[in-house]
Amino acid sequence: MRRLGRRAVTGAAVLTLAVLFGFPLIWMVLSAFKSTHSIVADAYPLSWKSIVPSHATTSNFGRLFGQLGFGRTLVNTAIAAAGQIGGSLVVCTLAGYAFARVRFPLRTAAFALCMLGAFIPIEATVVPLYRVVDSLGLVSTYAVLFLPFVCNPFGIFLMRQSFRDLPDEIFDAAAVDGAGIRALFLRIGLPNVRPALATLVLIQFIWSWSNYFWPLIAMQNPSRQVAQVAMASLQTDANNQPMYGEMFAAATIVTVPLVLLSIGLQRYYVRGMLSAGLK
Amino acid sequence: MSDSAAPEPAEVTLAEAFGKLSGALRRRRDMGVGALMILPAVVGLAIFQYYPIVVAAIQSLQSFNPFTHEARGFVGLHNYATLLDDPQFRAAALNTVLYIVLTLLVELPAALALAQLIDSRLPARAALRIAVIAGLAASETVAVLVWNQLYDPTHGLFNAVLHAVGIGNQPFLTSSGQALASIVLMSSWKNLGLLVLIFLAGLQNVPAELEEAAKLDGAGGLRRYWHVTLPALRRYIAVGLFVSTIAGSRIFTPIILMTQGGPKESTTNLTYYTYQQAFQYSSYGVAAASTVCMLILLAVVTLIQGFVLRERPA
Repeated sequence: MRRLGRRAVTGAAVLTLAVLFGFPLIWMVLSAFKSTHSIVADAYPLSWKSIVPSHATTSNFGRLFGQLGFGRTLVNTAIAAAGQIGGSLVVCTLAGYAFARVRFPLRTAAFALCMLGAFIPIEATVVPLYRVVDSLGLVSTYAVLFLPFVCNPFGIFLMRQSFRDLPDEIFDAAAVDGAGIRALFLRIGLPNVRPALATLVLIQFIWSWSNYFWPLIAMQNPSRQVAQVAMASLQTDANNQPMYGEMFAAATIVTVPLVLLSIGLQRYYVRGMLSAGLK
Repeated sequence: MSDSAAPEPAEVTLAEAFGKLSGALRRRRDMGVGALMILPAVVGLAIFQYYPIVVAAIQSLQSFNPFTHEARGFVGLHNYATLLDDPQFRAAALNTVLYIVLTLLVELPAALALAQLIDSRLPARAALRIAVIAGLAASETVAVLVWNQLYDPTHGLFNAVLHAVGIGNQPFLTSSGQALASIVLMSSWKNLGLLVLIFLAGLQNVPAELEEAAKLDGAGGLRRYWHVTLPALRRYIAVGLFVSTIAGSRIFTPIILMTQGGPKESTTNLTYYTYQQAFQYSSYGVAAASTVCMLILLAVVTLIQGFVLRERPA
């Protein structure tokens, strides 16, 4: 009985810690149903109204998708994500397979060159990168939103690792039967690394969806702007009047699918994040 | 086709011999195919990752027309001299190091503790794991916007809580003394999940016998952690160090959305300084020089860490 009591107490403590850690996101969702006035007026001093909406309203969402045209930016974000996922599926699987299972001159050097990019965050080179895409005439095109992220060192690493971990026998058997490199890649390699493909799709989706700095600079056409940049602009509108309610609504809309996806697909998500971290 | 040399089989069947012969013929053709397969990746990385570095190096030696953005000719190290004379740049460089150091100090211990909790047999640990993953999955921009409201000095929830427990209101992002630390705290919350996942992977690889043996020797919890668990995590801590160094060096979104580098340059860093030079003042030469400095700083920090944490035989 005492054991059970102690277990309940530690359980409650751990649960409290979890709620505290997740609090900014919980509060974000609750605030999406408050008016901007209530967000500014009710948080301080502390009362139940600081956290829970006193007059819950969905009008933030109405304005967000009505006059603020947030739906359009979600479509733009989806286009960028589709380009980044599709492109990196092709580029990273091809390169990953070649690095893992094909011998060619300078293979190790080429692989090292690809991995070096993982040490250079895009924030460090964003100005010269802008100059490069500007000289290529790509600024404000949809392509600029995803092209720089298609050749992803983490993706290449993940795919190389997965192809390398497959047993040699299945490739040798097919090779004896006369399968060429193309058949080996398409019919033996790809179908056997489905979990890694799912991981690649999931983390490229999350990364693309979360991009802020690059579209802020490289996308200068407001009708093609992505959701993260549009959401941030709601901190102040044209007359310097904050739209916090709409902002929290937008934040909820862009966050909830990501959180549900990464919790639901935890196995792939954790693997993807680890391949980004553990090189 | 694997890299490891397989032992020669004692008996070679006819089919295997035939396979080997055709394999040898095919390998010559495969060479070209292999190079072709990595071509898209190599071209993409060359254009979007490495060519910009070359561009930065060249443009850092040039002067630019601020209106047409055209190069006006080479000016030697003039842009670098401008940087060193600029107190804003010196503040940015110093703050970049400060961001990295503070991020490491906050993230590493917190992530180690959380990973240990999630790896334990405590009840409700699944909830903790979900909370950590949720924080990691949310975008940095969302984290910034939400924390910006929490930090607000007049209507923010943090001050409401501090006030309720009898501590005076804090200025947070609006004071040059607290702004950088406030950004690091928010940014660490956002990035902690990745470190926790890395350390969790490490904890699952600590041999249980090692812990058992230490337990039998009568080593208490903390001593066991210090002498058994931490050394076993060494490789994972090294990775965590790299990851949070990069995270600390790349901070930009909080600066532009929370403080614009202020108050009094207290939160500006090299990324934000470079952004301002390029896109607010159209000083592309100075921005390029600042980019080069940032890359050199990153290289130095990475090399130092690589050297300190190089694999040593136990």
